[in-house]
Amino acid sequence: MKGRQPDPAALAELRDILGEEGLRRDMLLEYLHALQDHHGHLSTRLLAALAQAMRLSQAEVYEVASFYHRFRIVGEAEAAPAGRRVDVCDGLVCQLAGADALAAALAADGGDGRIGRGACMGRCEQAPVAAADDSYIGQADPARIAAGLRGEIVEDRAPEVTFADYREGGGYDLLQQCRNGDHEPDWIIGRLSDSGLRGLGGAGFPTGRKWQLVRAEPAPRLLVVNADESEPGTFKDRYYLERDPHRFIEGMLLAAWTVAADEIYIYLRDEYPHLRRLLQRELVVARQAGIAVPEVHLRRGAGAYVCGEESAMLESIEGKRGLPRQRPPYPSQSGLFGRPTLINNVETLYWVRDAVNDGGDWPGQRSFSVSGRVREPGVKLAPAGISLRRLIDDYCGGMADGHQLAAFLPGGASGGILPAELADQPLDFGSLEDHGGLLGSAAVIVLSDRDDIRAAVANLMRFFADESCGQCTPCRLGTEKAVAMLAAGPADAAALADLAQVMADASICGLGHAAANPLRCALRHFPGAIA
Amino acid sequence: MPTLTIDGTEVTVEAGCTVLQACEEAGVEIPRFCYHDRLSIAGNCRMCLVEMEKAPKPIASCAMPVGEGMVIRTDTAAVRKARQGAMEFLLINHPLDCPICDQGGECDLQDQALAFGRDASRYVENKRAVKEKNLGPLIRTMMTRCIHCTRCVRFATEIAGVEELGATYRGEDTEIGTYVEAALTSEMSGNLVDVCPVGALTSRPYAFTARPWELRKTESIDVHDAVGCNIRVDSRGAEVMRVLPRLHEDVNEEWLGDRSRHAVDGLRRQRLDRPYLRVDGKLRPATWDQAFAAIASRMDGLAGERLAAIAGDMVDAETMLAMKDLMTALGSPNIDCRQDGAKLGGRHRGGYLFNTSIAGIEEADAILLVGCNPRWEATLINARIRKRWLAGGLSIGLIGPRVDLTYGYRYLGAGPATLAEVAGGDNDFAGLLQAAEKPMIIVGAGALSRPDGAAVLHLARRIAEATGMNGGDWNGFNVLHGAASRVGGLDLGFLPGEGGRDTAGILAGAGRGEIDLVWLLAADELDMGQFGDAFVVYQGHHGDAGAHRADVILPGAAYTEKDGTWVNTEGRAQQGRRATDPPGEARQDWAILRAFSDVIGQTLPYDNLAALRARMAELAPSFGRLDEVAPGEMGSFGVEGEVDATPFASPLGDYYLANAICRASSVMAECSRLYLAAGEGTGTDG
Ligand SMILES: Cc1cc2nc3c(=O)[nH]c(=O)nc-3n(C[C@H](O)[C@H](O)[C@H](O)COP(=O)(O)O)c2cc1C
Ligand code: SF4
Ligand code: SF4
Ligand code: FES
Repeated sequence: MKGRQPDPAALAELRDILGEEGLRRDMLLEYLHALQDHHGHLSTRLLAALAQAMRLSQAEVYEVASFYHRFRIVGEAEAAPAGRRVDVCDGLVCQLAGADALAAALAADGGDGRIGRGACMGRCEQAPVAAADDSYIGQADPARIAAGLRGEIVEDRAPEVTFADYREGGGYDLLQQCRNGDHEPDWIIGRLSDSGLRGLGGAGFPTGRKWQLVRAEPAPRLLVVNADESEPGTFKDRYYLERDPHRFIEGMLLAAWTVAADEIYIYLRDEYPHLRRLLQRELVVARQAGIAVPEVHLRRGAGAYVCGEESAMLESIEGKRGLPRQRPPYPSQSGLFGRPTLINNVETLYWVRDAVNDGGDWPGQRSFSVSGRVREPGVKLAPAGISLRRLIDDYCGGMADGHQLAAFLPGGASGGILPAELADQPLDFGSLEDHGGLLGSAAVIVLSDRDDIRAAVANLMRFFADESCGQCTPCRLGTEKAVAMLAAGPADAAALADLAQVMADASICGLGHAAANPLRCALRHFPGAIA
Repeated sequence: MPTLTIDGTEVTVEAGCTVLQACEEAGVEIPRFCYHDRLSIAGNCRMCLVEMEKAPKPIASCAMPVGEGMVIRTDTAAVRKARQGAMEFLLINHPLDCPICDQGGECDLQDQALAFGRDASRYVENKRAVKEKNLGPLIRTMMTRCIHCTRCVRFATEIAGVEELGATYRGEDTEIGTYVEAALTSEMSGNLVDVCPVGALTSRPYAFTARPWELRKTESIDVHDAVGCNIRVDSRGAEVMRVLPRLHEDVNEEWLGDRSRHAVDGLRRQRLDRPYLRVDGKLRPATWDQAFAAIASRMDGLAGERLAAIAGDMVDAETMLAMKDLMTALGSPNIDCRQDGAKLGGRHRGGYLFNTSIAGIEEADAILLVGCNPRWEATLINARIRKRWLAGGLSIGLIGPRVDLTYGYRYLGAGPATLAEVAGGDNDFAGLLQAAEKPMIIVGAGALSRPDGAAVLHLARRIAEATGMNGGDWNGFNVLHGAASRVGGLDLGFLPGEGGRDTAGILAGAGRGEIDLVWLLAADELDMGQFGDAFVVYQGHHGDAGAHRADVILPGAAYTEKDGTWVNTEGRAQQGRRATDPPGEARQDWAILRAFSDVIGQTLPYDNLAALRARMAELAPSFGRLDEVAPGEMGSFGVEGEVDATPFASPLGDYYLANAICRASSVMAECSRLYLAAGEGTGTDG
């Protein structure tokens, strides 16, 4: 037996949902989404039918579906879940804001839905956050969640800067100039390099150089936009897309033009459904206004932080499990579908127009996603190298009432955790490493004297354990082990340090390399809290 | 050819190889779990880490291609620490149950823990509980031992070509297994045990029966098909405990089919361990003298043409030659080594060999399969075709029963009519073969063991000629044999002599009373009802069809119990070695014939194996060139003639019950029940 035989009714149902066209291997995640959107879950019946229709083994479909946390697989023996589903964010910031109590209260209240937890939902300035199916609810409490379930909380709204506004401000001029032959790709690359723009997805690779590398590879080339924004505490990509999407779109089109990519893929995290709709709308608006846009494939993630890692993202776009690839080859050489591929973060592309126009004069600002114990959390555009103290005081209205700065995370879960004593250090690439911290995506999470460092570290390690793809030994086992050791009470500091070292040195990808950062920082700066 | 420095020593290696391979070249051993040189690279266990100059972190040497001027260090403190750490992690969940584990003494984890690790006492508290998996009757799982190296998944999807095994969920929840609770449908599943570096997958039939160090290991040759897989027979006392593959790059690489590996329990059951004599219609135990006397007396006064001998599919060449010599001495031309009636044979070896050689498959760019199911008839040849197919740029066409071969092919038609179309150039696959640089045709028993087999063979020959298959040093004409004995028999001319009868003729003659005595050499795949009143001598090892019909039973040796020579489908002569003694009073087969020849005063001219083998080499030079393949001359073969419209049929009804040893095996019976009776064959999708 090759598995359960798909029944004809399931095949017919599948076709009702997916249509009659031929199915493509790389679209597997999209099909799974379509089935889940329809039923609220994935039944093994339909998975079997999908495998048959795609000529894949059932094992392969199941391997993929079970990898992604947003897919809810319901076996034959299980009853299909009734009612709607509420997930409360279990990211660190939401935990600080009382998410655990909220989840407990919701669970105690019963109701007809199911209460679950979800990884950081990318709306940390609104903590605590909950999701009622596909509606995301900030400042969540039982009343607002009930409103959300009634469909009364809608995130969709017109961007602050509309297409017309953007055009009025000179938007798309640079793109048109390029397309009219006023500029050479090399000129764009030169200007970008002069501007000093570096990747804002976390790794900070110089953008001009990356474009040049990809351009040097043989055509056909592809552009992939990393809109997976899943680093806990990071929400800048969402912020910019909500407000000024055309600045991003122009950057994206400039990138495609410069490296001569004939197709564009945008990998958008599934927790941003309103942005999916927004991008779809705004791309139409731009096209209708006469801006030529190459084929754009807007793809949905499915709840896997590791798919923000660029090579795992490529696997995911190809419809597979999000396992990071071995390098070499690098994506610039052999990326999506084996083609030379340029990968950029949303915000990186967002700044391209300004960086090219300003060249060496571009001010080089940073967008800090600030959350936690500050009075006014949010995305703060501030000079690169600003200190935490000034960021809090000058941009965030100071600490929240009754809270004193005790610790901070400079770069989300991956960037480690630093003590208040380092609040005057410049927040920039290269200045925090000496202390064990990393700026990464500039997600600054502020903790106060009222927060439990050990609980915070445990939360972060739990996050990495949940999100590890499980491919390599050090990360799969190291994250899990760290969680267990932290849960077991005072831990053996030497054993934890060894564990952290092996994860950092021997893991395949950045997730495993960084996963030990909170632990290593805590051992270094807050030894009493851990061991 | 890049040059790199490994631990201070310069080595120059092939471009495209990995740092790990370069280290091996330099004589530096690198520990590994997930790396396997015949599987794709996973790079997940992180045991093979080394330091590379300018790299900020240790790199996985198995996944890193070599580059000019690389400087690699394999034994720094950082490397040791990283490996030790990875090892320690692996031991976190791995139960320390080596003393009861089947892999004990053969476990990479155990070896490497000793060599590179330290004890995992700091982390012993939580052993993860994992549900056991059903991977079929041949594999026993102990998933707590699994280290997620994915070798098994890669083996199944890449080599075996079944996509039922996979990794589900993620992180620490990752589970390796089949998705549906069903056995793995592969006739190569036994190899999973060899591929798994730890004791997570072990041999179910072999479970706990012996520890590696108790076993005597004998290198031998498999006879369950005509591939000539190299095997190692592990025995304890008189019992064969298990059969494992032995590396032969040109034949089976390092794999083995499930029948060859797991029918061994059949060697212990239904054995003929003493002579029998039919008295008043019943078989009764007898002494060797009584048995010989009975045959001698039945033979007495019979003209040679009233005697006949048929050799079965697993018989060694030595025995066939002794039989042939005896029959010749008795004046009988009625001998045949083709129980299935295949229309093959003759002076020109090219007409009955797999001329490209098995390794040659890797060079082919177009293959026409005719009347064969290589997945069942020659599992490792099928695996080689799949390997070639995976590499890309190969067109495959099939004429015959539609079967799942684990690779894609164009279905051209069911029988000779389609073959004639291709031969006449009326099928566009002919053009494809014509255009190919190294085209090949593979003709199987399903096409040749039928009354019009000679005409079919002729058509195949015409295709080979018309599409330019024989040119220069490439001869793309291939016959796929299913019987291990066959090519040896053909080489020795174990075929009807002047005016002699072939298998069908012998059966018909016996039925009509024209043949009085038939000597069956372990021949069981015949319709025993057709022997009429003939006196049947059955010389063999199992109480199967032949023994049931016999008037005298002479107990012989199974392949693991004899020193014998078999010539595989490529024409490669290989010697198997005796691992255990035949049971009871059973004897070496050639020696039985020699002894009998003495009784009837026709003493064969050799009294030891060396002399017999010298005569073999005299008759057929291939026997003098062990393990070599020589190009077969084409000469003339096949007969132009009418072909029948009947579609080619699959000669093998059941992979798991292909011969007397398999039919005596309860493991094979279970496989057959599970895989075939359930209605979905391993090899057929009909
Ligand atoms: C575990 C992990 C998660 C990541 N998540 C994201 C992400 O959500 N968004 C993003 O743009 N980059 C993310 N990255 C970085 C990407 O791998 C990649 O460097 C980036 O998309 C390149 O674009 P950039 O040069 O414009 O920054 C992540 C990296 C790792 C290791
Ligand atoms: S480091 Fe973690 S996330 Fe990255 S490949 Fe290894 S297991 Fe997967
Ligand atoms: S079962 Fe064995 S081969 Fe398969 S992943 Fe586990 S350890 Fe590796
Ligand atoms: S052998 Fe290289 S990572 Fe496993």
